[in-house]
Amino acid sequence: MSSDHVAPQADHADRAKTLLQRIADLRAWLFLAFLIFGFEVWSRLDFGGTFLFNPFNIQSIAVFAVAPLLLATGQTFVIISGGIDLSMGFIMGLAAVVAAHVINWATPGMGFGWAVIFGTLVAVGVSAIPGWVNGMLVAFLKVPPFIGTLGMFGVARGVAFLMAGGTTVPVKNEVFAALGNGRIYGVPYIVIVSAVFVLVMHYLLSQTRFGQHNYAIGANMQAARRAGINIKWHLLRLYILSGMCAGLAGVLYAARFSAGAAQAGEPLLLDSVAAVVIGGASLFGGSGTILGTVAGALVIAVIQYGLVFINVAPFWQFISVGVVIIISVLIDQAQRRFSGGRQSE
Amino acid sequence: MIRRHFLGAASVMAIGLTLATSVAAQDDKLTIALVPGLTTDAFYITMNKGAQAAADALGVELVFQGAPDFNPVTQVPVLDAVIARAPDAILIAPTDTTQLIEPLRKAHDAGIPVITVDTFIGTGMYQTGAGDADFPLAYIASDNVLGGKMAARALAAAIGGTGKVYVSNVKPGISTTDQREAGFKAAMAEEFPNVVVLETQFNDNDANKAASQLQGVFARDADLKGVFGANLFSALGAANGVQQAGQTGTIKVVAFDAPGSIVDNIKTGLVDVAIAQHPAEIGYYGVVSAYAHLTGQSIPVSIGTGFTIMDATNIDDPEIAKYVYSE
Repeated sequence: MSSDHVAPQADHADRAKTLLQRIADLRAWLFLAFLIFGFEVWSRLDFGGTFLFNPFNIQSIAVFAVAPLLLATGQTFVIISGGIDLSMGFIMGLAAVVAAHVINWATPGMGFGWAVIFGTLVAVGVSAIPGWVNGMLVAFLKVPPFIGTLGMFGVARGVAFLMAGGTTVPVKNEVFAALGNGRIYGVPYIVIVSAVFVLVMHYLLSQTRFGQHNYAIGANMQAARRAGINIKWHLLRLYILSGMCAGLAGVLYAARFSAGAAQAGEPLLLDSVAAVVIGGASLFGGSGTILGTVAGALVIAVIQYGLVFINVAPFWQFISVGVVIIISVLIDQAQRRFSGGRQSE
Repeated sequence: MIRRHFLGAASVMAIGLTLATSVAAQDDKLTIALVPGLTTDAFYITMNKGAQAAADALGVELVFQGAPDFNPVTQVPVLDAVIARAPDAILIAPTDTTQLIEPLRKAHDAGIPVITVDTFIGTGMYQTGAGDADFPLAYIASDNVLGGKMAARALAAAIGGTGKVYVSNVKPGISTTDQREAGFKAAMAEEFPNVVVLETQFNDNDANKAASQLQGVFARDADLKGVFGANLFSALGAANGVQQAGQTGTIKVVAFDAPGSIVDNIKTGLVDVAIAQHPAEIGYYGVVSAYAHLTGQSIPVSIGTGFTIMDATNIDDPEIAKYVYSE
């Protein structure tokens, strides 16, 4: 294993998979199907309505999933590499505030459309800065990711609140509001933007050298180093990428609510980690996929939306998301034990 | 000169401390500390502005120090640091009715008068001799139960007194938002028997979740008529959910609190009514009360500040717009 080139998706190599492994790989999608089926049955029995075949429900769930999914996409890369990025929630808030300010500032001079493009680029660009600092801390100064990004969590939070003056910044731009709330053939623009972005990220992780190196580093950093991977340079780019994912989430948040709020992403951070874990990634690194994360984000969105739809008391939402996370990790552990797979830490 | 005289006459317990503190001794200015529930909120920032206006008028030094989130765990260390600086009086929005009693008693025992603003400790009934939390001198706030009732009346009027509504709220256990919800439900039950109040949805201060909950409730109850957002993000999210559902104008949205973004939403029609508190007034009367006490006057044990109802018809009126929270 050490001498030949690291196989893509080390964990999903083509050796024959047991049935259990196949189920485990797909567990997030199975959960999702099971949940949707459950809500469908409940709706029909309870009040004769449909859950799945109501386009409004699908639309609402998709819009709901956008922000946690964008955070979770960046988080998937980081978690596969064996790290974690705790700063994403406030990088998202920072980007939302920056986008709001820049678009308000640029609209009189540039017109609605160009101001949106300019503001988006600036906001995503600014969110690369805390990502770069995270990367420097983790890759070059050997700060554990949990600590380094926790520090950046505080810095990004403070800067975002300072820039916002402690409150929310209203955005006045029709094009931006249309981006956040408009739709084409019934599909909201922000869902289209996110879907395209997530597919690109899926390609990046599963088909490129960058993605292969990411799995290799997460599975065994020493082996990856001996295989000639420039780990520092990779980690630096990795944390910039996750910062920019959070930045895009922040821009879309500001577009949707016509307001930049520093605390926009605060409640979403743990949801994003949960989505990655439900999606099949291991917090020890080396495994996980973007498509699994998509399923994980949808599982959380379906639970939270579905329980409102079938009118269950609110606190069950916390319980059910928690239960799904635990079951998900238990399946992961069982799979490793049975397959005798890499469990060395 | 007059101030120096008054300082001498200030409460006997405080006098030793006051002389001992360098801040007060250097320039003979009274120092009043304002500890907000959290520093990152337009409500408390506006309160600070009102307090500063009173401080400037009275020649008092105002110190504004708080924690970034609404939580006793982070507020108490800030309070301890403020007590260590021995200000002449403390105005505080306690983040918990019981957990802040002992930390504030330390200030009281050190001879620093305590006045609570916006939120309270114990029952909020002070100077009665009852209970262990009656030592603060005054409680200055808007009556959140009344605010909730006003929200109910505004929403009932907007939907014609009949139909289904629900409360979009942050999470249980916050005294002010709990009171708003209770007031809302009480007024609906007593005054509007034809309005059905559905289960409250808690969103953890996440606008994204609040929006999704609105859509979920609407998907089930297509005859939903209105929603009461009990704080900024609850209202912001509910309004966006209404917009996503294509029901703007059909499902009425009443928001509690009036920062700039809610006012913009009133202008664009996403929010129908906002109930604005008067945080600047709370800050102003807080400082004035502390000053009056420190200069030997008696002060009322409770001051209730009012509300202003904002909607599309009056939002451009400068007399109304002055109650928009500053940024």
